[in-house]
Amino acid sequence: MRYTGVVNSDVDDGLHNDQENQSNSSESHQGVEESDSSEDEVAPRNTVGDVPLVWYKDEEHIGYDLDGKKIKKRTRKDKVESFLESADDAKNWLKVYDEYNDEEVEVTKKELKLITRLLKGKAPHSDFDPYAPYVDWFKWDDAKHPLSNAPEPKRRFIPSKWESKKVVKLVRAIRMGLIKRDKPKEEQQFYHLWGDDSSSTEKANHLSFIPAPKSKLPGHEESYNPSLEYIPTQEEINSYQLMFEEDRPKFIPRRYTSLRSIPAYDNAVKDVFERCLDLYLCPRVRKKRINIDPESLKPKLPSRRDLKPYPVTCYLEYKGHTDAVVSISIEASGQWLASGSLDGTVRIWEVETGRCLRVWEFEEAVKFVAWNPLREIPIVAVSVGQEVFILNTGLGDEEEQKKIKELLHYETPVAPDDSGDKVSVASWHQDDKHEGIRLRHFKTVSSVEWHRKGDYFSTVMPAGESRAVLIHQLSKKHTQRIPFKLRGLPVSSLFHPTKKIFFISTKKNVRAYDLQKQKLIKKLETGLREVSSISVHPGGDNIIVGSREGKLCWFDMDLSSKPYRILKCHPKDITNVAFHRSYPLFASCSDDCTAYVFHGMVYSDLNQNPLIVPLEILRGHTSSNGRGVMDCKFHPRQPWLFTAGADSVIKLYCH
Amino acid sequence: MDIDGVNEEENSRRVQVRFVTKLKPPMTVPPLPIAIPSNLTRLGLSTLVNNLIQNGNPDWNTQPFDFLIDGELVRMSLDKFLLAKSISAEKILEIEYIKAVAPRKEEEPSLHDDWVSSVDGSDPRFIVTGCYDSLARVWKAAGECTHILEGHSDVIASVGVINRKGVEGITVATASKDCTLRLWKFDTEDSINDPIRIRAFKILRGHTKSVQCVAAQNTGDMVCSGSWDSMIKLWQTNDSQSDGDLVSIKKRKGNDQADESQLEGEAVSTLVGHTQCVSSVVWPQQETIYSASWDHSIRLWDAETGKNSSDIFCTKVLNCLDVGGESSALIAAGGSDPILRIWDPRKPGTSAPVFQFSSHASWISACKWHDKSWFHLVSSSYDGKVMLWDLRTAWPLAVIESHKDKVLCADWWKGDSVISGGADSKLCISSGISVL
Repeated sequence: MRYTGVVNSDVDDGLHNDQENQSNSSESHQGVEESDSSEDEVAPRNTVGDVPLVWYKDEEHIGYDLDGKKIKKRTRKDKVESFLESADDAKNWLKVYDEYNDEEVEVTKKELKLITRLLKGKAPHSDFDPYAPYVDWFKWDDAKHPLSNAPEPKRRFIPSKWESKKVVKLVRAIRMGLIKRDKPKEEQQFYHLWGDDSSSTEKANHLSFIPAPKSKLPGHEESYNPSLEYIPTQEEINSYQLMFEEDRPKFIPRRYTSLRSIPAYDNAVKDVFERCLDLYLCPRVRKKRINIDPESLKPKLPSRRDLKPYPVTCYLEYKGHTDAVVSISIEASGQWLASGSLDGTVRIWEVETGRCLRVWEFEEAVKFVAWNPLREIPIVAVSVGQEVFILNTGLGDEEEQKKIKELLHYETPVAPDDSGDKVSVASWHQDDKHEGIRLRHFKTVSSVEWHRKGDYFSTVMPAGESRAVLIHQLSKKHTQRIPFKLRGLPVSSLFHPTKKIFFISTKKNVRAYDLQKQKLIKKLETGLREVSSISVHPGGDNIIVGSREGKLCWFDMDLSSKPYRILKCHPKDITNVAFHRSYPLFASCSDDCTAYVFHGMVYSDLNQNPLIVPLEILRGHTSSNGRGVMDCKFHPRQPWLFTAGADSVIKLYCH
Repeated sequence: MDIDGVNEEENSRRVQVRFVTKLKPPMTVPPLPIAIPSNLTRLGLSTLVNNLIQNGNPDWNTQPFDFLIDGELVRMSLDKFLLAKSISAEKILEIEYIKAVAPRKEEEPSLHDDWVSSVDGSDPRFIVTGCYDSLARVWKAAGECTHILEGHSDVIASVGVINRKGVEGITVATASKDCTLRLWKFDTEDSINDPIRIRAFKILRGHTKSVQCVAAQNTGDMVCSGSWDSMIKLWQTNDSQSDGDLVSIKKRKGNDQADESQLEGEAVSTLVGHTQCVSSVVWPQQETIYSASWDHSIRLWDAETGKNSSDIFCTKVLNCLDVGGESSALIAAGGSDPILRIWDPRKPGTSAPVFQFSSHASWISACKWHDKSWFHLVSSSYDGKVMLWDLRTAWPLAVIESHKDKVLCADWWKGDSVISGGADSKLCISSGISVL
């Protein structure tokens, strides 16, 4: 401590300020006296005490030693000499001149350490630990009483009165506008006079603000001296008189030689009045217009060209019937075609040439024809009134004929069946006239469907109530009722193409029954007014249903019992729908004399929904008695469609 | 001559042409270049050539000619043709003329009792027709029926004449929808007013569905047949009983007066591969059989091994097929659309037809190559027309409209006649066609 000031003065190169020197020396003397460990200090040899050294400035001595003898001043070195000395001596920077004792002192290593510690702001002695662990002399744990036994003051539990007063003051200041939180808005001085009001945003801040429509700006013709082409001729002006007042032009341009000669505008008040009326009376509604490209709303469908082949043009016609052809059926190999007509005939045609091969005549109109699905048994089931005939077409080779004759031979059992119920439902007879079997039903039969194995077939009598649907077995000549309760009026029945499932469509719904377990599996709700026809996809999981209101429903049975898609395409009743057996095609025909062909792709991947693309409208039939196309069937092997018309023609549309 | 022409008619352009021909001397013209108006069509060129011939030969009867420029028939006015083919009109144009291929005479139609389903005119001595009344008939000329072949119980779908070398008389094979084929033998020499009714000497059983077509091997030893059971079967045509187990003798017991023996034959081999009705077969060479089917394919079979050597796929159902044309290698086929297609199987790497003729309006029921010419074809269609085609032009050479209903079959006869049968029960013969 003692040397700090002295070191500074040494740096000041010996030119001392007296005042400073004084204070320094006095401090150092105090320091000496105050030091509690004086034994490490060497006692000063000068004994003048704490007096200003200025007093001895002019003296020969600097003071007195312990014995009272004068201490002589050393001879002063001159500056150059002392500089050279200091430059030579490496330890010069450690040397300090002690003015009091008039001697040079060298700072020891220990002292240097001390100084550096002080400069760093640490405790001077290194053995001092400023972070010694705190020793709590007073122990709370076993104290029985707190230091203060006073209860908690109440103010600690109530909100501060002064704080609330301050808040109220601030609120008042904000309300009075003394405190402003955001910068004041700059008001627009100018506005765009000719700008479009509708686009001005600051006004449109208002939610229901609708700008008034601008009045029309004056054009060239309203100029005081318009070009000649704007001036109507006298004839034109006269023709204005013939117009309705509303259509007449409001202003007839005229030319004036100078602005001076323009008369007052007659209609000025009227115009302004009308403008005001417009603004006041015109209801203004903001129309939300959504800009959607109508093309983008169309579903992305593949092009028709990529979906070839499908039936397009009619090349062959099968003519011979004299009344509407109601039903057609194609033999499994696709060589023959059977057709039933209201003229009471069933005809067999050669598909390839359109040649009529065979004709059977019946007393009543033929309702339905169906080929046996087996190629080896070319027989046809025909429903006529209350009877169903199984007819031998006489096709095939001799062996097949022999088999068919055996199959179609029926001998009336000697002992009549004791259960009277069965007999009344349907009775089997040998029919010699048509060389076949006759099945007499108790009501009119509307449709006949074969099972895929060609032994069983089902008949539907819409008026038959509980016995409306029957299943017959040809090989055993046996008839049985279906073991399910029917709800609603049955329209048609179908066998599942692969499984033991039987579909019955009533006027509203389609039901699928398991024939083996004899129970209802699924009920498809069509939502249609009257179902007219039904067809099953060869995969068996998709069904199309046609209705009398012209709608066609596609059911994906795995998806739901609601239609996957409803196609409203025919303006009149759909008479029949059909799936192709191998191509992804389906068709519907209607009384509007058209047949529609669709692409109906069913994917084996269950996650992918069926793809339906309308392909072609087949026209060509003519209407007769309000009926159009009565039946449509696909060729089993080719992408061809047969249509039977009420105009007694069957047409073949080829790809 | 050129300068005169230019002075005469200046408003129409002229081209210099030289007429050449391969025809025999009375029909040749001097090979000098002449200038003719460029707007002449075939008719104009034909009258010009007739006039030129008449100049050298006064008692020449005019007859129509057809004209070839660079191997293509002229079917429009000359300037349009040159423009379309980008041929320079500056050079001397060489025009070859040939006799126009068109029927000059329509013979009286030969009436049948029912639709005429098939016709064969491969033998110049007679025509064989198959009919829907399950009878086949042999005609010596128009309206002159010499033989009636009876025995089938259903429609005859196809007839084929078998040329057997070293065998007297004529053998004919018929295919019927009663699933059998029958072979017949007769002589043409007998000329009696009433047609002779003959019975088949051999019945070929084996098909399970109606037989659609029959074709004979060129040696006449075998026939092949295609059927609705999608099989092609090969049969022996010999009438000897030496084949042992393949042939069995069957006495006809039901018919007392005709107690003749009838042979029954079984198929020698079966070619399986088609998936649908085989609608047409051709057996032009010893070892190759061509077949067309409703499964949209034309297949080539090796007759010896029964292997299917190559396929041509079409997108349409095929009804008829014939092989002929250039070195008898082009395949012509028609089917369920109005386009007659011609394939060249020698062309590698492509199955696209080399020619397509589309003037018909309905299904094509038959097509036949001319057996001498490389270029000429006849086709018949359900639209009631028979058309003559030349490969060198896209338009039909001639349209024969003698039928009132569908034409079901057509063939060449004697090299200069077209015979056709149709759903109007008529056999029509259009003769005087000068193909060569």
